[in-house]
Amino acid sequence: MHPPISLIFFFLTAGTSIGLFIFVYFIEFLKLFGKGQGLPKEVVLLSGVISLILIGAGAIGASFHLGHKLRAWKAVKRFHTSWLSREAVFSGAYGLTLLIYLVIKYFDISPFFEHFFGILTWILGVLSGFSTAMIYASNKFVLEWNTGITVIYYLLMYLMLGSSAFTIISYYYNLPYTGTFLFLTFLFVLLGFGFRLAFNIRQFYIKRPTLNEALNLPHNRPVRVIDKGSTTDNFCTTEFYYEKGKQMLPTFIPLAYLFTFIIPLFLLVYIWITGTVNQYLLWVIYLSILIGSAIERWCFFVEGNHVQNLFYGLYPEEGYKLRKGFMERKETRTSLYG
Amino acid sequence: MPQYALVIDLNTCVGCHACATNCKEWNTQAAFGPLSDFDPFGRAPEGVWYNRIFTYETGEFPETQVFHLPKSCLHCQDAPCVPVCPTGASYKREQDGIVLVNYDDCIGCKLCAWSCPYGCREFDEADKVMKKCTLCIDRIYDETLPPEHRKPACVLTCPARARFFGDIEDPNSEVYKLIEKRQGFVLFPDMGTNPANHYLPRQETTINLEEYEKHILKPDNPLFLEVLRRHKPGFASEETKQEQPEESYAEELP
Repeated sequence: MHPPISLIFFFLTAGTSIGLFIFVYFIEFLKLFGKGQGLPKEVVLLSGVISLILIGAGAIGASFHLGHKLRAWKAVKRFHTSWLSREAVFSGAYGLTLLIYLVIKYFDISPFFEHFFGILTWILGVLSGFSTAMIYASNKFVLEWNTGITVIYYLLMYLMLGSSAFTIISYYYNLPYTGTFLFLTFLFVLLGFGFRLAFNIRQFYIKRPTLNEALNLPHNRPVRVIDKGSTTDNFCTTEFYYEKGKQMLPTFIPLAYLFTFIIPLFLLVYIWITGTVNQYLLWVIYLSILIGSAIERWCFFVEGNHVQNLFYGLYPEEGYKLRKGFMERKETRTSLYG
Repeated sequence: MPQYALVIDLNTCVGCHACATNCKEWNTQAAFGPLSDFDPFGRAPEGVWYNRIFTYETGEFPETQVFHLPKSCLHCQDAPCVPVCPTGASYKREQDGIVLVNYDDCIGCKLCAWSCPYGCREFDEADKVMKKCTLCIDRIYDETLPPEHRKPACVLTCPARARFFGDIEDPNSEVYKLIEKRQGFVLFPDMGTNPANHYLPRQETTINLEEYEKHILKPDNPLFLEVLRRHKPGFASEETKQEQPEESYAEELP
């Protein structure tokens, strides 16, 4: 699949925005039950404004992959069937309720409404991330994406970005949460690492369809593509098969692992062992996760193989090799010739 | 519920691309046009086509067979491209089962193309909307046309008469009978899309030459010798034997 840059940008901005708010409001929420000291109003407002700016920038950036940007509002119409529609509704509602929450917090209007909108924003943020992940995970024609790992990993990435960003804020304001959030960042990065590995390993075991299945032919009959109907590339071959990306993938996947997981994990362990924390280290951790996530999202798209590529002879053949022995034993009586 | 669809006979299709070019010609100027074309006469022409023809080879050499597969939107009965559309621009008509795109509502997010396992939707870079086969809906209901012309452009133009159009749910229709008689099949049956367009499988054609021999084997047939050479193995070997001594004699010459 061809990676749309605007969607990668949306992931990074929405991920930091929602991830950051999840932790900021969670600390505020615990205060309701007498757990912890909450956060200074200044910190809540600062992180809230950052979240608001980022989700706004993400929404504008994401619209760049649309053919008609000014019609983007129409995307709310099919909420009952489309995950893209749900994502548009939830992320839009998240931005709106976040703004209301910040206004209530700034003017100290009402503690009840402050927490009401806080909880609402928190839920809408999680639902927005979940809906975005489901756009990919529900697509049963891109088998690499069509798994629960996609959703879990996607949400973990939001938490990785949010917790590493909040650690910087906590350090700047000298809050007592820096140590906790260093641990949480380590935990989410480690979990993310595990799920990304699982995502990659799973690709070797996917039972892939074959051109014979696409053409409804007996499985033991060899089929080759002779002509693709046009002398040049078309929308289907450029959108669903990114040849240059496939060539660069062996270089970019290790880079994604290095920046997203290895460098942050190494620095977090270094901080624990030496006991030295400074703003530069925390910024390097966040930026490393940010850059790594951008590369990882690019890889995620390029790794996806759409089944329509079968008709063009551009689909991986591993599946055919894996299933060949089984299919040859099975006696098929269907014939191309009637 | 009626379901209009195309039935394509792979036994007769010669892969001439006439259906694709006539589809392009009609749809670029009719109600759903224009279909964009970039660099049409240049080195790398690119544009939107509702219909593309693929050619495949099956079997192992020397026993191979080539067949052509015209592929346009299959108007699936459980179309996966319809529910994913966030605006409702992509829809399936209840009265005839045709899947269409409302260009005024399409935002060009391409999610419908991602959800089509057949690759039958193409994004128009000029109009910035998703386009696909309409089964020439602007022809089939046009009462100003003679009834025999109320068919998709690809069906009317096919020189081999390999394409048929009709309601596949109507037992009295030509397409229903063809699917039943010739065991019509669909592409990617495991994907749960239930495509409406069907394909008729290849059949082995056998001709009993003996019946025609009395007509063919007449001395006034200009291809008399050629017919004998091809279909009478004995005649061919006798001819070679006669030529053999001359060749061997020629080789011996200094």
